[in-house]
Amino acid sequence: MVVYDALIIGGGVVGCSIARELSRCKINALLVEKECDVAMGTSGSNSGVAHAGFYVQPGTLKAETNIKGHRMLPGLCKELSVPYEEIGKLVVAKTEDEIDHLKKLKENGDKNGTRDLEIIYREKVKELEPNIEAVAALYSPTSGILDPFELTIALAENALKNGVKFSLNTEVMGISQKNGRFLVKTNKKGFESKIVINSAGLYSDEISEMVGIDRYKIYPCRGEYHILDKNKSALINHLIYPVPPKDLGGLGVHLTPTVDGNIMIGPSAEYIQEMDVSNTLDVMDTLLKEAKEMLPEISRRDFIRSFAGIRPKLIPQGSKSPADFVIEEDPEVNNFINLVGIESPGLTSAPAIAEKVVEIIKKKKKFKKNRKFNPKRKAPVCFSKLSDQEKSELIKKNPDYGHIVCRCETVTRQEIIDALNNPLNVKSIDGIKRRCRTGTGRCQGGFCTPKIVEIMEELYHPSIDDLTLKGNNSRLFIGRTKDLRKND
Amino acid sequence: MKKKFICIICPNGCEIEVKYSEGEIEKISGNLCEKGLDYVKKELFSPERGLTSSVNLKNGLLPLVSVKASKPIPKEKIFALMDEIADIEVKAPVKIGDIIVKDILGTGADIMATKNVDRKGNFLYQKKEN
Amino acid sequence: MIEREIDIAIIGGGPAGLSAAIAAKKSGIDNILLIERSESLGGILNQCIHEGFGIEIFKEALTGPEYMQRFIDKVEQLKIPCMLNSMVLDINKKKDIIVCSPEGLIKVNAKAIVLAMGCRERTRGNICIPGTRPSGVYTAGCAQNLINLKNYMVGKRVVILGSGDIGLIMARRLKLEGAEVLAVVEILPYSSGLPRNVVQCLEDYDIPLYLGHTVVNIRGRKRVEEVVIAKVDEKWRPIKGTEKRIECDTLLLSVGLIPENELSKMAGISLDSVTYGSRVNENLETNVKGIFACGNVLHVHDLVDYVTLEAELAGNSAADFVRGELRNESNIKVTAGNGVRYVLPHLISGKNDAKFSLRVMCPDRNRKIVVRDGKKILKKIPKMRVNPSEMIQFNIKKEYLEDVKELTIEIE
Repeated sequence: MVVYDALIIGGGVVGCSIARELSRCKINALLVEKECDVAMGTSGSNSGVAHAGFYVQPGTLKAETNIKGHRMLPGLCKELSVPYEEIGKLVVAKTEDEIDHLKKLKENGDKNGTRDLEIIYREKVKELEPNIEAVAALYSPTSGILDPFELTIALAENALKNGVKFSLNTEVMGISQKNGRFLVKTNKKGFESKIVINSAGLYSDEISEMVGIDRYKIYPCRGEYHILDKNKSALINHLIYPVPPKDLGGLGVHLTPTVDGNIMIGPSAEYIQEMDVSNTLDVMDTLLKEAKEMLPEISRRDFIRSFAGIRPKLIPQGSKSPADFVIEEDPEVNNFINLVGIESPGLTSAPAIAEKVVEIIKKKKKFKKNRKFNPKRKAPVCFSKLSDQEKSELIKKNPDYGHIVCRCETVTRQEIIDALNNPLNVKSIDGIKRRCRTGTGRCQGGFCTPKIVEIMEELYHPSIDDLTLKGNNSRLFIGRTKDLRKND
Repeated sequence: MKKKFICIICPNGCEIEVKYSEGEIEKISGNLCEKGLDYVKKELFSPERGLTSSVNLKNGLLPLVSVKASKPIPKEKIFALMDEIADIEVKAPVKIGDIIVKDILGTGADIMATKNVDRKGNFLYQKKEN
Repeated sequence: MIEREIDIAIIGGGPAGLSAAIAAKKSGIDNILLIERSESLGGILNQCIHEGFGIEIFKEALTGPEYMQRFIDKVEQLKIPCMLNSMVLDINKKKDIIVCSPEGLIKVNAKAIVLAMGCRERTRGNICIPGTRPSGVYTAGCAQNLINLKNYMVGKRVVILGSGDIGLIMARRLKLEGAEVLAVVEILPYSSGLPRNVVQCLEDYDIPLYLGHTVVNIRGRKRVEEVVIAKVDEKWRPIKGTEKRIECDTLLLSVGLIPENELSKMAGISLDSVTYGSRVNENLETNVKGIFACGNVLHVHDLVDYVTLEAELAGNSAADFVRGELRNESNIKVTAGNGVRYVLPHLISGKNDAKFSLRVMCPDRNRKIVVRDGKKILKKIPKMRVNPSEMIQFNIKKEYLEDVKELTIEIE
């Protein structure tokens, strides 16, 4: 059996960042992920914000990795051809007594090393945001936005290209140790590895327990979101956050523009018992109400989709102070690198967390440099963003770029084929959606889904079990049209 | 015995009440026209329905061809008919009006194609430009 | 970019586009271009394999594909140029159209445009149904496409939200193909489809209809496992304690059609906030001179026959426009009064016979449609039955419209 140098459990943004960072070395590494694609957990259901570092407590790992990660992200995104926008954030105070809070946040940010924080007042706020009413705001010009799917996928693809192996649909069932090696049992086969890196997000406590570490417990805290129709995008120009209410497990209802041009409302924060990513009626109503307080122009009719994600909190509801990231080689279990409780600012921190983890590993064994390491990932074609000239040239080379399949987002047949031929071999409808934006528009796939299925039939002749929304057990269909009446 | 029907012949949807016994109608009321009378008589003793569905198609530009019954089918035979056509596979090309099954299940109705479907060629999609 | 000079460009090759093209050609315009985004003509009729089309126009009850073939044959016979797999990306006030097709980007400079893009379906996200996001949730039209054209059965145990005609037709379709239809759920206290469809599609198959209910939760991690329905109050808010769980694997949504007017917005066309379609005059011309609208993109129809007639008017108007023969300013405003949800057209000239289309707010019997100019009543049309799900059309002769200042159409 192959003995891996490192086995990463979990294909979220942290696991994939680590994979990519590890691939700079000549190392035999494997990443296992239980879902059919990367970024299927918390990494795939968050605000997509690159935080500038003024919310986190100074002196914590959160702060350290946040600041570092925030500095690394623009360059990283450029290398990987992932769109990143330094859009800036305004934390708005509606009343005079909220200004104190802004000052505290600024103080915090200054301590952490956040750049260019500025408290601005009504006039300037109006200048930056004509539709927002505020007496004052904390302006953070370096806060950014990115698509967390795109980043995670890009990291994974780049890691794969540089030699890391990926095994999707692979769930870890148990870990035992023998002769200084870990035997990782999965639903597929067993893997042997010298080092195990636990980046299993919401299940990192369960994975820890598998090697006898039982001091961590994840308290799931759900955040619900709504996505608005693009025709509302002109309403705001920056991330808009209210001053956070005092006793919440999260940051309060935000208005978050996305790199694709939508605005998201949310997240809420609710501690839950099970890993349930439902949207609930009460929260949907509250989110709408609070968003309308900031932007009266928004109505329920503008919603195109709602979703929810879960924060892996390390402390229960009502705790006095937030917990810090756990990023360490466990003191009791050698070669087991534990990443627990990576909630916000996890996305921002990911590149910095990866560096820390690889440092820990390099201290144990000197790996040679991977001379073939290529940090760059080629950008997939985004037809809708090209100029008319570029569009014409592309269609000349390949007429399938002239055949538009997703009407709402102007996605072409060839882009869909390219997305289907992705290096990780993910063929779910959601996987395609994340790679080329089909189904993310106002018709939510009503028009393009039958056409995408047709393309998949053409190219792969999939079985009914292969046509899924998001992997195993999420089949789109139960069979062919006549199957329920067929006499066999 | 009494029964109420909503006539489906035209959009008026008259609510027609029928008094009947042992296969004979005693009284009908509520209909606006003769067609309603005919409908109710049929509906009471031998209800029929129009049928449209689809049938598997081999080597066509589409995997199914839509079909219809040439005349209404006795209501109680509909599911049996659906089972019957589920196993059929027609070969492309098909034209509107082509008879797929003659006198299906002894009903006197034929199953006819309602769509033109050409045979699949070597190209992925046909372009049509005059 | 290739540039083409076209007299009349028709956007959409469904029933509206086809009829507009045929009318324009028959009226003498040759330089027509019909632009269709799918790989074949016929639009939504391709997937409407049930009967009920053509009763007015052909005096026959045809299926959708049979109806559309008559017009496709005519288009071929008349040699009207069509572009398939071609999506319009942009139109502007000057009637320049950018088309994206496998042949390349094409700029069409049109003298007149007929908008015939049809509509899209309202989605789950738009009506905010709580719950998880498993597979097995489909809009009814999408499911219809998958079942009838792509040969995929969407589920075995189905719940349908929405009792409009599309929901009812799909209930029957699924039942016929062997699926279990566990419930049709309707938020209104009455079915929004025709009574005869309720009979033919639900009662025939013992499918329970829950009126005054809606879906309040969708459960299932990967695939739909159950939905929860509940009774609603007059504000359509679910009433706590009335929840009912229905185990199923599929939820179909038939909750509304929205005219696809994204392109129209680009051209600066004013839309009606009730119909979501363009504001038009009696020639079906929008506020942008030379751009006309017809079919579902103008207002959602229930009978394709009316689409055909409307599109003929649009095609003829476009042809008249190209010839400089479209006269008569439409300055008489037409307003929807009590009991009327909307009425088209929004403006008439008063110099021609006027044809109106309207929908009422609520179902009722023994009403009158009242046409008045201020306090002066011009006409009263008795109606035995009125139903929001049935478009009402009527004419007013131009003799009645002399000296009219403005019109209100209402129900009494």
